[in-house]
Amino acid sequence: MRKRCAKLLVSFLPLAAAGESRFPQPQFDTGHTVPQAVHPAFVELVPPWADVLILAVALAISVWLVRKVRSRRWILVFSLVCLAWFGFVKQGCICPVGSVQNVAVAAWTGGGLPWFVAALFALPLLTALLFGRVFCAAVCPLGALQDLFIVRPQRVPQALDAVLRLVPLAVLSAGLVCAVNGAGYLICRTDPFVGLFRRSAPLPMLLTGMAVLLLGMVLARPYCRYFCPYGVLLEGCSRLAWRRVEVTEATCINCRLCAGVCPVGAIASPREVVRDQARTLQFRRFVRVLFLVPVVLAGCAGAGWLSGSYVARAHPDVALVEYLASTGAADEDLHPELEAYKRTGKSREWAETRAAHTVERFQKGCAGAGAFIGMVIVLRLLGLTHLSKRSVHEADRVRCIACGRCFEACPKNAKTAARGSAG
Amino acid sequence: MEERGGRDGQVTRRNALAWLLRAGTGALIAAFAVKASCKPAGGRTVWQLDPRKCIQCGRCETECVLQPSAVKCVHGYTMCGYCKLCFGYFKPDAPRLDEAAENQTCPTGAIRRTFVESPYFEYSIDEPLCTGCGLCVKGCTNFGNGSLYLQVRHDRCVNCNTCRIAEACPAQAFTRVPAAQPYLLKEKLV
Repeated sequence: MRKRCAKLLVSFLPLAAAGESRFPQPQFDTGHTVPQAVHPAFVELVPPWADVLILAVALAISVWLVRKVRSRRWILVFSLVCLAWFGFVKQGCICPVGSVQNVAVAAWTGGGLPWFVAALFALPLLTALLFGRVFCAAVCPLGALQDLFIVRPQRVPQALDAVLRLVPLAVLSAGLVCAVNGAGYLICRTDPFVGLFRRSAPLPMLLTGMAVLLLGMVLARPYCRYFCPYGVLLEGCSRLAWRRVEVTEATCINCRLCAGVCPVGAIASPREVVRDQARTLQFRRFVRVLFLVPVVLAGCAGAGWLSGSYVARAHPDVALVEYLASTGAADEDLHPELEAYKRTGKSREWAETRAAHTVERFQKGCAGAGAFIGMVIVLRLLGLTHLSKRSVHEADRVRCIACGRCFEACPKNAKTAARGSAG
Repeated sequence: MEERGGRDGQVTRRNALAWLLRAGTGALIAAFAVKASCKPAGGRTVWQLDPRKCIQCGRCETECVLQPSAVKCVHGYTMCGYCKLCFGYFKPDAPRLDEAAENQTCPTGAIRRTFVESPYFEYSIDEPLCTGCGLCVKGCTNFGNGSLYLQVRHDRCVNCNTCRIAEACPAQAFTRVPAAQPYLLKEKLV
C-alpha cells in the first residue's frame, strides 16, 4: 500500500500542473448518475438601497431626538435599536467606519466602488456638517455598545487627552496608507467589537473587545475618543457644524451640572476675553507656534518616512522577502507563503525588487501621513492660542457625541424642572 | 439659545464664511464619494477563493472570523474519478482501505464514501462536519483529479468588508465576485 502511494506520487506529480484528469470518470454499468453539487446562494438581508435608506432614516431620527425631543432616555432607547440592527442583525459590514478605506482605495485607483458604499461613507459626515456628531450618539453600533458600559467615567487630564487624541489620526493615516498600497484593511482588522456582534471570533479579538468595554466603565467610550479613525473625519465636520448640541433650552446659569455628567469631558466652561499683557503673551505664543510649523511638519514627515519600512511589513510582498531571508530549509513549512512563491517560479531578485518598490511606496505614503498629522498638531497648537470669549457652559463641537446626558442634568430644562417639582 | 437664534438669522460676514466652509467641506466629501464610485461597479460583491490558486495551507480553517470557518470543502462530482483508493479520503499510511476512522484523512470524518459498483466509490461532503482544513483537498489535488476543493459557503459567510482569510492567504487566492455568481467552481473553470 505504502509503496503504491509512493509510486503514484512520483508518476503523477508532473500532471498536477497540467490540470488533466488522472483518473477518467467511469461509465457506470449500473446506470448510476453523477450527482449535482448544491451551492447555497448568497442571500442579502436587505438590498443595498435599503441599507442606505435605513442609515439615512436612523440619522434623521437621531437628529430629531437630539434637537427636538431632547431626552436622554429616548436617545438611549434608539441607540439600543441601532445596536440591535446595525450590530447584531447586520453584523457590521459594511459600515461607515470601514468604508473610509473602500472610498480611499477606489478614489486612488480611479473608481469602481459600489454607489451604496460611497453613500454610507458620506451620509454621517454630511449630517455632522449640519448637526454635529449625532451619528456617534445613537446610530453607530460601536458607540452604542460602549455607551452602555459607562459606569463611572473619570476625567482625562488635558495633556494626556491631547496626546491620546493623536492616536485616531495615526490609525486613520496608517489605515489609508495600508489600504491604498494593497496591505489590507487595517481599520477593519482593529475593530474590537465586530466579533461580539457575530458572537463568533478568534479568541484574541473577543478578549480585546471585552477589555475595551471594561476599560469603558471608567474611561467613557475609549474606542470612539482615542481610536476611531472615522471620528477624525466626523470631528472635522462637526467643528463646522451649523447647529451644535444645545445643553440648555433657556439661558445658561453657569451651574456646571452639565460638566459634571458629561462622560467625555465635552462641556466647555466660560472664559473671559484676554486683554493687555495677557493678550500680548498670547500673540507671542501664536507667533512662536508659527515658527514651529516647518519644524513640526518636517519632523512628523521624517518620522513617517522612517516608520514606512515597518508599516510596509503588513504588505505580503515585503513579508515574503522577510520569510525568504529568515527561514531555513528546515522550517519552510511554517510559512506557506514560501510554497506559494515557489510555485510562481519567479527569481529571488524579482521578489526583492518588488518588495523594495513596495517599501518605497510605503515610505512616501507614511511621510505624507506624517505631514498630515504634523499639520493637525500645528492647527491644534494654534487653536490653543486663540481664546475667544465664552460667557456660558456649552458643548464643545468637536468632543460632544450628543449622548444627551446633559439635557437631564440642566435645571433650566423644562423636563428636568418638572421632574424636580414632582419629586 | 435665544441669543444664538437672533444671531443665526442675520447675514453677517461670520455666518456667510461659516456656510462657505460648510458647503466646501460638503462638496469635498461628495466629490470623494463620486470620484470613488464614478465607474459603474455593479451591485454587491462577495468573497470567493479561486481553487486554481489555492495551495491548501490550512489557514481557511483557522483565520476566518467565524468558527467553524465559512470555507468548506466542496466536491465537483463531474471531475471525480470515483477511485476506490481516494487520495482525498485515505491517509497515505492508511492500514486498510475501509471507512474506519484511522484510515481517513479528514479529521472530522466529513467525507462520506458510498459504494457504487465495483471498483467505484462515490464521495460526498457532510458540510456541517467540514472545518475547511483542506487536508483532503491536498491529497486529491496532488495525487488525484482535484475534484475536491475549497469554496466560501455563502450560507455561512458574513461578507466582511475585508476577509481575514483573504488577508492571510499566502497564495492570494481570494477575490471579490458578483453576488449573483458567488462561486468559482473548478469543474467549470478548468
